[in-house]
Amino acid sequence: MLQQLANGVFAGSIYALFAIGFTLVFGVLRHLNLAHPAVFTAGAFVGIEVAARTAIPVWILLPVVALFGALAGVLVERIAFRPLRGRDDEHFAGLISSVALGGIVIALLQARYGTEPQSFAMDYFPDRLFEVAGVRVTLTQLVTLGLALVLMVGLAWLVSATPLGRSMRAVAENPTAAKVLGVNVGRVTAGTYALSSALGTVAGALLALNLGQAGRDLGASIELVGFAVIILGGLGSLWGAMAAGVVLGIAEALTIHLFDSTWKSMVAFALLFAVLVLRPRGLFGHVKVREV
Amino acid sequence: MLEGYNTIITVIALGAILAYSFHVVLMAGQLSLGQAGFASLAAYTSTLVVPAEPIAGSISPVVVGLPVGAAVGAAAAFVVGLPVLRLRGVFLAIATIAFGEMVRVVVNNAEWTNGALGLRVDKWVTFDFAWIIVAVLAYLFWRLGPSRSGRAFAAVREDELAAGSMGVDVVRTRMASFIASGAIAGVYGVLFAYFFGRLTPATFDFSLTVNGLVTAVLGGYLVFFGPVLGAGFLTAVPEVQKALGLEAGWIHPLVTGALLLAVILFLPGGLSTLFSRMRPAPRRPGPDYAPLDALDPLPDRGTPIAEVRGLAKRYGAVDAVRGVDLEIRSGEVLGIIGPNGAGKTTLVNMISGLEPPTAGEGTILGVPLGSRPHRFAQAGVSRTFQHSKLFERLTVLDNVLVGTHVVSRPTYLRRLAWLPSARRDERRALALAWAQLERVGLADRAGLRPGALSYGDRRRLEIARALAAHPTLLILDEPAAGMNHVEAAELASLIRGLADDGVTVLFIEHNVKMVLEACTRLVVLDFGAVIAEGEPREVAADPRVVEAYLGAEAADDEETEHV
Repeated sequence: MLQQLANGVFAGSIYALFAIGFTLVFGVLRHLNLAHPAVFTAGAFVGIEVAARTAIPVWILLPVVALFGALAGVLVERIAFRPLRGRDDEHFAGLISSVALGGIVIALLQARYGTEPQSFAMDYFPDRLFEVAGVRVTLTQLVTLGLALVLMVGLAWLVSATPLGRSMRAVAENPTAAKVLGVNVGRVTAGTYALSSALGTVAGALLALNLGQAGRDLGASIELVGFAVIILGGLGSLWGAMAAGVVLGIAEALTIHLFDSTWKSMVAFALLFAVLVLRPRGLFGHVKVREV
Repeated sequence: MLEGYNTIITVIALGAILAYSFHVVLMAGQLSLGQAGFASLAAYTSTLVVPAEPIAGSISPVVVGLPVGAAVGAAAAFVVGLPVLRLRGVFLAIATIAFGEMVRVVVNNAEWTNGALGLRVDKWVTFDFAWIIVAVLAYLFWRLGPSRSGRAFAAVREDELAAGSMGVDVVRTRMASFIASGAIAGVYGVLFAYFFGRLTPATFDFSLTVNGLVTAVLGGYLVFFGPVLGAGFLTAVPEVQKALGLEAGWIHPLVTGALLLAVILFLPGGLSTLFSRMRPAPRRPGPDYAPLDALDPLPDRGTPIAEVRGLAKRYGAVDAVRGVDLEIRSGEVLGIIGPNGAGKTTLVNMISGLEPPTAGEGTILGVPLGSRPHRFAQAGVSRTFQHSKLFERLTVLDNVLVGTHVVSRPTYLRRLAWLPSARRDERRALALAWAQLERVGLADRAGLRPGALSYGDRRRLEIARALAAHPTLLILDEPAAGMNHVEAAELASLIRGLADDGVTVLFIEHNVKMVLEACTRLVVLDFGAVIAEGEPREVAADPRVVEAYLGAEAADDEETEHV
């Protein structure tokens, strides 16, 4: 039981890390970036390749992956979202263009890495098993959890206490007013995507590190859970996404414990459906009512 | 000739049918993505319920399965729609995705579906059968477009509030599109099962949803043949690549992704923009129509048409409107003035059903306060908005045609059967709309989109749209804002002309000169309460009004003061 809870927390920290990137872009720019899962997958593959070629340790590897992610994020915004700005169907079109770009990214991954899953070398990250109060945890899990916490707190600090964060909040409130007051909206948009994708790629690399390998469907497998997390947490709410990620991880672990692993994904969607119908602002978030 | 291509051709048809189930919700502006769930329920139900052998010796199971599937899909959509349709945009999308995934998990775990292994059925669907279904759907959507219901769909897509104020029942329209989507998805599910002969839960997963959405948007959801184009394109691209010898596994998704991206970035209306010719500029309908004669007479001058008592609206700790009593009599031109924030717009929003009052009672043309907007519109209330709410992707003429919603009859079913009466009704609506465009002087711009109009023209267009409803009570919220003094004077004379025709006008305005010229009675609001009421010139001279409205020192009668 306790073991299941611990597993849930570890899975949840990855969900949260995946979802805060998703929700950050939505919160600031009202874009639902469906290329995010593909960027997440790319992070895993890039991490595996860089590790294999350079044998750099993991604490250097992850910043490298994040840098790649930031670049990818800027490209995603330039290609799939910026050209649509101001169009009547901006929101529909953004969904489709990001799906298309996500497909392109996955195709490029296939071109470079083929169809087989890629693996970290067995001895890349010497894993150790700890046992605390009857709960077994691996070093990878601990590193993942710790890093997820650090990144999330770091992001929260960045948004609440730095000039970039302040600009992001200004753009989220009112892009036109922010522009008039001298905020460089283009740069803030690019910065938001860079941050979001950096987090997404690191989350992908961490998940691959936990699994030991990554396939092209890595992102697709987590995409729908990501939707659930951002809605449960309240769309656009960072703390909500973090909490909801962990809650969902635990709920899934408990379902596996009590029923059967085939019912696992039912929990996420049943919870999601119930929350949307009963409390659309999410468990932790609040939604601004649009003015008439 | 088509031998060997049968499968491809049928796959295009199936893709188009799936895309139509997205098309119908996108037409009404709803991002609903539960189609995979509806298709799955329909396919499983019909394969399990319908006998596997031809019925009565000759009727193939798919012919029986289709109506079963459509009914199951429609019923499921109705049941899901009841709680879910309160949501909008991304929230609606994700809730419906969640529904689809829940169906998949249940089907995957249930015994009657044979779990992940799925069911086997005989293959009954041939390519001509699939294309007959496509043709039927295309016909249904072709006839829907320029009908009263089709315009209601478009109006809800472009602006729900404005659609409701024009008498369109927004809740019903959204539900109708949702149910139609469920039914079409059900048809798709059944056809899929009897074409591939195999049914597994994984068939109806999230990627099916993405495919359907992509096909519908790629083809274009503003034109009835969009789904066919989208499906043809997405199916043909890999075939062309194969023919060119580009078989590497990654080239196909790369090229498809790149083409999709190119279309969405450079062809905003989807592929159908390439095929739909420029529509000819609309022309004045023939002179043999005197549509205005056939309309119901307006109430006799002086009849009370609205009475409210103690009307109040509270937002949190703010009393936007407090204890307003108001009586409106037929034929009068009632002006409402007051400083910004005095509660004028809130007051008319309550009178037209956009906001329910916190307290107070009364009826407007017999409709109790607190009813939904379309009820007021159907009773004869028509309005414009302070910030114009036009249907931006419809032409000027179509905007006004939406206005005729409450004075015309539904034509869709009769249009399907080509009944002459439907054509008569549509021409009558057209004549009505055209008359209003001429009245406000926009007939020469009937074919443009509202975005191409000047600010003053946009306001005139909104008035024409409101007038097309043949209103008993016309509400204008700051109609002269942003107009120059020539345009404002024209507007004042238009309002007086309407009053001569017996239309009751209630208007909010800051342009004092225009108010004094046009209205027969004036109500002054300040801090949510009525502070003066009566004959315009007397009220305007009232010291309390001067102080509240113009400020104590500005009593030197600035004509176009915008406070």
